[in-house]
Amino acid sequence: MDPARLPLNGVRVLDLTMVWAGPYGTRLLADMGAEVIKVEAARSWDMLRSLHFLGGTTERWWNKSAYFNHNNRNKYACTIDLQTERGRELALRLAAMSDVVVENYRSDVVRKLRLDYADLRSVKDDIILVSMPSHGKDGPESHHVAYGTNVEQLAGLVSITGYPGEGPHKSPIAYGDPNAGAIAAASAVAALLHRERTGEGQHVEVAQWEAMIPNIGEFILAFQMSGRLPESIGNAHVSRVQNVYGCAGDDEWVSISVGSDAEFAALCGVIGRADLVRDTRFADVVSRRRNQPELDAIIGEWTRRRRHEEAARALQAAGVPAAPLLKIPQLVANEHLNARGFWEEVTQADAGTWTMEGPAWRMWRTPAHVRVPPPMFGEHNYYVFRHLLGLSEEEIAALEGDGVIATTPDLGLHA
Amino acid sequence: MAGPWCTKLLADYGADVIKVERPGTGDVSRGHGPFAGGVPHPETSALFVWLNTSKRSITLDVTSATGRGLALRIAAQCDAVALDRSPSQLERLRLSPEDLHAVNERLVVTCVSAFGQSGPYADWASSNAVAYAAGGQYYITGDPEREPLLNGGYQAEYQAGTWAFGAALAALWQARASGEGQVAEVAGVEAMASILEFYVPDYVYRKSEALSRRRGNFASAAVGIYPAADGYIGIHCMPKNWPQFIRAMDAEWMATDERFADNRARLRHDDELSAQIYAWAAGLTKQEAYRRAGEARAPITPVNTMADLLASEHLRARGFFRDIGHPDAGAMRYAGPPSRMPASPPQPRRAPRLGEHNAEVFGDMLGLDGRDLTRLSAAGVI
Repeated sequence: MDPARLPLNGVRVLDLTMVWAGPYGTRLLADMGAEVIKVEAARSWDMLRSLHFLGGTTERWWNKSAYFNHNNRNKYACTIDLQTERGRELALRLAAMSDVVVENYRSDVVRKLRLDYADLRSVKDDIILVSMPSHGKDGPESHHVAYGTNVEQLAGLVSITGYPGEGPHKSPIAYGDPNAGAIAAASAVAALLHRERTGEGQHVEVAQWEAMIPNIGEFILAFQMSGRLPESIGNAHVSRVQNVYGCAGDDEWVSISVGSDAEFAALCGVIGRADLVRDTRFADVVSRRRNQPELDAIIGEWTRRRRHEEAARALQAAGVPAAPLLKIPQLVANEHLNARGFWEEVTQADAGTWTMEGPAWRMWRTPAHVRVPPPMFGEHNYYVFRHLLGLSEEEIAALEGDGVIATTPDLGLHA
Repeated sequence: MAGPWCTKLLADYGADVIKVERPGTGDVSRGHGPFAGGVPHPETSALFVWLNTSKRSITLDVTSATGRGLALRIAAQCDAVALDRSPSQLERLRLSPEDLHAVNERLVVTCVSAFGQSGPYADWASSNAVAYAAGGQYYITGDPEREPLLNGGYQAEYQAGTWAFGAALAALWQARASGEGQVAEVAGVEAMASILEFYVPDYVYRKSEALSRRRGNFASAAVGIYPAADGYIGIHCMPKNWPQFIRAMDAEWMATDERFADNRARLRHDDELSAQIYAWAAGLTKQEAYRRAGEARAPITPVNTMADLLASEHLRARGFFRDIGHPDAGAMRYAGPPSRMPASPPQPRRAPRLGEHNAEVFGDMLGLDGRDLTRLSAAGVI
């Protein structure tokens, strides 16, 4: 695919984000063809670079963190120390030639750096600034700090997750991060559409806590209707017969979810128990849900003699909602994702060649791929300072000599 | 659900969304409890009134030739169409992206489903749990020695819908410049497989399964969920947060205790650190722990319930919840939009009754009058 035909071709994004939420959001924009310029500094580099799990002696490990690399592919990376006056000027010059600036600092940092919306507007009147503070820029708790795990706790999701009758349970991931990232990316495009129509930019705010609450919006209404706090129901469903069932493989499970009579009859056929359709314990939607423990035992009897993928295929062939709980290696080997070309091979000079997920906003007429390898620390300094900003070789060398720009990170930062 | 969530976002952010529902019963979510007043009613489902704010509703049996024809005539006048069916279902209805582009080549057609529009599982029956499983997150959720645990609510559906919202906007942006239509496709399992933190990246890079198992509520003592006096709190203390963390716990003595001198030492004495945190958390309310965390700027948060959210002074001060009335479901406080856009602020309005906008949509867009609607109704088309 010719990059010039990608949806966001011609959109430039100045990316002041680190860790996961912000970089994930700007990655979605980069995947769609935006030119995303990530800014780090020797004393302020992306902590994900330190989560490489390779051991301390690996050379230039900061370029080899797969966690960083997945979330920053398709971007350009330069270094600017924003705390210096000359660094701030460079950032403003880049902002002046950008459409969108994204930042996910704590709520007070862009103000201290004097890179707030008003500062950016003074160099580009229709700039779109996307800020992603955890609690928002104002309000009595805006000084609080939170990671993605904290965000899902604040948002109420953790309170409705859990094994039945037990306490709350967290997601396996810092879910607040990618959720806020996806909302930020979509909101940035919405702001571009608004700018196109009216000529005006705006300061978009994605308070990560608020971005997560709508994902359980129906529970908030349900609470107001019933006056009762929702209980953790584990793997069950309020009305369907739903659970995970152990399979033949080591720690392998299949998810099965059955609602209608037709789905139940299909399930009974597949597990060789057509007699259950006439069994009074399971004859209708209500009795099946009431007697689910007995039904679970019967279904489990069938699943435990099969691998999870085999069980799911047999059930799906009869129209029963079911899926294997894919382990990570199985997810990467999965026949469906591979047939769809979801996994792509990527090569980067320091990290070598490995597999990563392709862009998942799939545009049929202009399919996107990983086109820019994940950037090494400061890899695109020359491109940004020489080509975009037009600095001379001498000026770049002087900035480097004075520590405004850098080619290696200060390793003491994320020790 | 993924489809309605995507189009709710589009509608709340200002698009004129026309929801096409089956005559008689409407969207299946209208049957999903709880209901205002406790009795099943098609206009008072919490799930439906939440997922369909700001939309207009028409009824149309798209399985009939007449209904399909009307749907295509409406599509001819739209910028975008959102579909949440599998490819064989769309094929049967003859409402595939190709069919839609045949009547309007500039359409942005957004397809969102659990497995996408191609591949061996494209026609698999789906539910939130199915997408959570096949997208890789189910297996790693829950306690290591127990069965995996489904996340609360319908997170696989919401993620797919949020992605479809972004993809639809990107395609609309592209169409405005290119003048050409597009199909923006999102598969829920791909959205989920893309957000597995370091699980996927680490496995594909190091080929080690060391970090790909369930870990329960604790990554270490400093990252986990602890019981407080009146509920639970969550702690996420990275190495750089340690000074703030011990200040919030009023345990600055730890700074000079060699067991906790640095991150490596703390991991070696994880049980001792854990005991300290349990004891501290049990002695105060979650709000008090949160207040101290704010003062010290430590990442400690309450595990909020629905009641806590509605009572939150912070969310109230920010005007997050919106009071929205509804003639059947009554007035309630709805969660606000997930982002704030001051130049073009989203303004959610109540969900529509089934077929509420038949007269205006069929009248304004297709020029049908009252007698035409009566004929369509008699034939079961609307």
